[in-house]
Amino acid sequence: MSFRSDTLLWMLQRASAAVLALCVLVHLVTIIYAVQGGLSAAEILGRTRGNYGWAAFYSVFVLACAVHVPIGLRAVFAEWLAWRGRSRAVALVAFAALIAATGMRAVIGVFAG
Amino acid sequence: MPRYASQTVLDVVTHIQRALDPTLAYRYACRVGMCGSCAMTVNGVARWTCRTHVDKVAKDGALEIGPLKNLPVIRDLVADMSEFFDKWAQARGRFEGSATRSDDFAKVAPQSEQREQVDAAIECIGCGVCYASCDVVTWNPDYLGPAALNRAWTLVNDVRDTANLERLRAVAGDAGCHACHTHVSCSERCPKQIAPTAGIAGLKRAVAKAAMRGDL
Repeated sequence: MSFRSDTLLWMLQRASAAVLALCVLVHLVTIIYAVQGGLSAAEILGRTRGNYGWAAFYSVFVLACAVHVPIGLRAVFAEWLAWRGRSRAVALVAFAALIAATGMRAVIGVFAG
Repeated sequence: MPRYASQTVLDVVTHIQRALDPTLAYRYACRVGMCGSCAMTVNGVARWTCRTHVDKVAKDGALEIGPLKNLPVIRDLVADMSEFFDKWAQARGRFEGSATRSDDFAKVAPQSEQREQVDAAIECIGCGVCYASCDVVTWNPDYLGPAALNRAWTLVNDVRDTANLERLRAVAGDAGCHACHTHVSCSERCPKQIAPTAGIAGLKRAVAKAAMRGDL
């Protein structure tokens, strides 16, 4: 039944929003703290390269985005473009995969680069 | 238009029909803010015309009066309320109890949390102001809307009601409580100072709890 899947998606969006709130806070605090000595690629890589903690943190961040953003877009598509149904679901799954793939590529890049 | 102290927008409409254009169609009944039938769009905002003083809304002495938005227009200022009330039925806005006439009265403590939730939402008279003010209804015509969901919320908190699971199923999903963006227009415009947004948030929590229990 669609109300069950709608409810599940809503819960996933709420849960991912809670994760993102924490991730954004940690990310912003890190930025503000880290740029005090000037911003450089070497400094960022020095912090992230080989660091499993940061890799795990940003992996969670990316995956939460990949869950959260397409569910929000789903409502935008319905309300602004009257786009519903299977084609919308396929497009959103593809977009989720794109966010996850490009995001994880960046995470791996700063971890292993 | 003759002006006088404490003139309401409904007075203006009535004057137009009686003195200027007898073909004008509009709807009203009680004239004192009890029946909810005279709601119209006044200078872009849904209001009860009987409780809206011209002085408060006529910028530069100009009034633009139209039918309620988000509803089909029957004629002139008369909106067709059918879908508005059909959605109350879709949201299972009807009390369903199990007691018979031989049972004693149910005893509900006035200070109980559920009864206080009901008190905050029960005074709705179905005027349609919230429905006409809701952006989500405009974008998604299937959306049940603030009034129907507010009604469902009062029943979800009614300890005597026996159809809550079916009701939660009826209000869940993209046409139900999960469509609300909490723009709060309904709560802002409600002439009874009800906050349907809060009730809709309560429905979201109740649906989520039912889903986590595996009941939904």
